[in-house]
Amino acid sequence: MSGIIADVLVVLGLATMTLGVYGIVRFPDVYTQLHASGKAAFLGVSALLVAAAIGGGPEIVSRVVLTVVLLALTTPVAAHAIAQAAYHRREPMRSPGALDETATIPGSTPSPGEGHVGDAAGD
Amino acid sequence: MRNDLVFFAGIAWLAVLLAVTIAAIGRARTTAERLVALDTAVLILIGLLGLVAAENRRSYALDAALALALLSFVATLAGARYLGDRRPFDQPDEEGP
Repeated sequence: MSGIIADVLVVLGLATMTLGVYGIVRFPDVYTQLHASGKAAFLGVSALLVAAAIGGGPEIVSRVVLTVVLLALTTPVAAHAIAQAAYHRREPMRSPGALDETATIPGSTPSPGEGHVGDAAGD
Repeated sequence: MRNDLVFFAGIAWLAVLLAVTIAAIGRARTTAERLVALDTAVLILIGLLGLVAAENRRSYALDAALALALLSFVATLAGARYLGDRRPFDQPDEEGP
């Protein structure tokens, strides 16, 4: 029974990580790629590690718990740092219908209520 | 009891995904995209090490996975801070005029 649960978790994690890698390859800009990297890849690797812990000894379970907790704490921070750096460098938003609420990035449509306010003046 | 074929197939499929992600590092258009792909490659490698540890029923590979998770976080954070304002370790407006 635990073997079946581990197999299901492995297949689930592999499917999620495949979706994440497909998003990395296919999404048009870094802001959307961060969704695939920060959510899909992290959830996939968590499922794989939990599947590895099922049926393992206490030394495997303790390391898996440490690694999953560490990844859950650090992955959003790293994704936010990358997004902040990309926004600071005014990287263009290439996805269709991207909405830049501060309207400082060229090529993106500004927020509908704001018009053309604050073109890099308050930076 | 455990079906080892699924774990073998998982290791092989993760190796394919790792190759695809490394190719994505090579063809990224900007440095931030390259950083994202590198972060994802390290995540895939952690999953691969977890599957290897479960396959061998030894915990050595998970030590490497834990160290890799720590190192990847610090590397990504330093890279992103350096990419953003060219100063990895302090705030940009702490210095006086």
